Amino acid sequence: MTFKPLFWLFLIILIIGRFVTTRPDFSNGDKIRITEKVSSEPIRYETSQRLIIGRLKTYLPKFPEINYGDIVVVEGMVEDGKLIDPKLVDLNFATGVLYKTRKRIIENFQKSLPEPHSSLVAGVTLGSKSGIPQDFWEALRETGTAHVVVASGMNVTLVAGFLIGILILFFSRKKAVILALIGIWIYSFLSGFDAPIVRAAIMGSIAFTAQGLGRLYAAGRALFLSAAIMLIIRPDWLTDLGFILSFVATGSLMLFERKIANLIRFVPGIFREGLSTSLAAQIGVAPILFATFGQFNLLSPVINALVLWTIAPITVMGAVAGMIGLISITLGKSILLLSFPLTTWFIEIVKAFG
Amino acid sequence: MKYFFSGLILVAIVIWMAAFASPDRNLHLIACDVGQGDAILAVYGEIQILVDGGANDEVINCLDRYMPFSDRKIEVVLLSHPQLDHFGGLREVFRRFQVEYFVANSLDSSSQSYQSLKSLVGGSGASLVFPTTGSTIRLGLLHLDIVWPSDDFLAMEDNFSDNKILGAFTSKRDPNEFSIVAILRLEEFDALLTGDIGPEVINEIIQTDKVHNVEYIKVPHHGSKNGLTQELLDITLPEVAVISVGKNSYGHPHKEILELLEEREILMKRTDMDGDIEIISDGESWWIN
Repeated sequence: MTFKPLFWLFLIILIIGRFVTTRPDFSNGDKIRITEKVSSEPIRYETSQRLIIGRLKTYLPKFPEINYGDIVVVEGMVEDGKLIDPKLVDLNFATGVLYKTRKRIIENFQKSLPEPHSSLVAGVTLGSKSGIPQDFWEALRETGTAHVVVASGMNVTLVAGFLIGILILFFSRKKAVILALIGIWIYSFLSGFDAPIVRAAIMGSIAFTAQGLGRLYAAGRALFLSAAIMLIIRPDWLTDLGFILSFVATGSLMLFERKIANLIRFVPGIFREGLSTSLAAQIGVAPILFATFGQFNLLSPVINALVLWTIAPITVMGAVAGMIGLISITLGKSILLLSFPLTTWFIEIVKAFG
Repeated sequence: MKYFFSGLILVAIVIWMAAFASPDRNLHLIACDVGQGDAILAVYGEIQILVDGGANDEVINCLDRYMPFSDRKIEVVLLSHPQLDHFGGLREVFRRFQVEYFVANSLDSSSQSYQSLKSLVGGSGASLVFPTTGSTIRLGLLHLDIVWPSDDFLAMEDNFSDNKILGAFTSKRDPNEFSIVAILRLEEFDALLTGDIGPEVINEIIQTDKVHNVEYIKVPHHGSKNGLTQELLDITLPEVAVISVGKNSYGHPHKEILELLEEREILMKRTDMDGDIEIISDGESWWIN
């Protein structure tokens, strides 16, 4: 039994080592040229787009549009974690099938539904936040519901549940689990490989593997283990807000969700889960959000409770419509139209409070 | 079984929402608030005509506000002339909507964004229409009577060719002078859509005899004094004038133009002050929403 603390100690040392050795060694005033694959989706503003290149915030003109997976060559000067006067020297579009698939699915959403419905579906199912209209994004942030349209671990859980539910009808348990694992990782790749998604994918994989092997699954340990694995591979995530929030939120959920659900049994069924989840997550997340953004909406758990129940069906319909849409846009569109009442509910509630 | 019923309920709700959102039998003419630029949307039943797309993607929000959610087809997109404050948003329009006819002139623009629009249009399956003075585009009861540019005007260009492709020729002239000018007509209601034309072209337009009494005028060139003239007002006698303008460094709209409209007691609306300007007509009278 003694090896366990040692194991964790080893992981922590490894993380620190990786973090120190991979830290980019440029300082303010350095002129640099970076070639890098864009590892998460750029955020688009009216006239510019924001990328993280070499851990530096880089604002480039809106055109040419850069997408997740593209390879960019950028020149500029380092200043306080930003690359100023950046110049795009070269841009090679992503060639991978998955990158293209993701792009096509999002385009099909945009062809099928008006804004902000299409970007809501794209955000919920694929964590794509680039197409979200500015005012709707503000409303999402003000109401504390932005987490549903950025890649979140909840999506992975939903997709995993959906996949297992379907696969188990056709395959043996073991095969279903293996296929679902593959599905989860393809999905995380499609969703832009953001920290929260990867976190959920790793945890899901651990849980499924444990199930497959007939081992006991300890969620708490899985949470720390996924954090360790992620930080060893991507030490820069240590300072990534999405990464931190994802772990704190999941931890708080594990600790408090059940207790809160028991306390609020008077709330109608459809809203109860949303309320208990968001209350539990807020316990850990609220202080961090307040410290980072200086704002926090006290009504946020209530708003979340009102809208969260729509997310599961929207995700499932979006995912199914996305895949079918690759074959027939018309068919994909008719499935997406079914989500319209739900997205309307979500959007109207958020606008009413935002 | 539970899912099946939830699905059926959703289908029912969608049908009700679609019925509720379906358009009335009036013409809605909306000057979209897209900042400095033009984007004018005409909605008549299931038919939409979009004239210009503004400088940025703001036009998408306008389309989504005024089109039924299940309608992703725009029958006509008309680009008056290839300048960014008129075509900037059209790229996103072609990405998101099915466009049946793209009406434009074949003047080219060397800007990178126009080149990318051309390739999007080419791949979209939209039919191209290059109209000149005297032609009419008809969609049900809606008519677009084309006033400008004339065949003679285009023929004066050295490298003008009749090739029916986008960007077939370049010109030393100001692109504004090539603006497609059209009268949108529903029975007795006429709206003059003027692009960015200036005094010189206006004189030539008046000589074509194609302009007449209208109810609505889109003030040319965002209210620049290098735009609307007394003569045009004398001949068109509009009741309402709409200026599509946003924050800009040119001083648009110029006070000379505002005074011109004031003198004649023409009702004036500006997108920078009034937001979207929606005029509704049943083909006889018109009113502001």
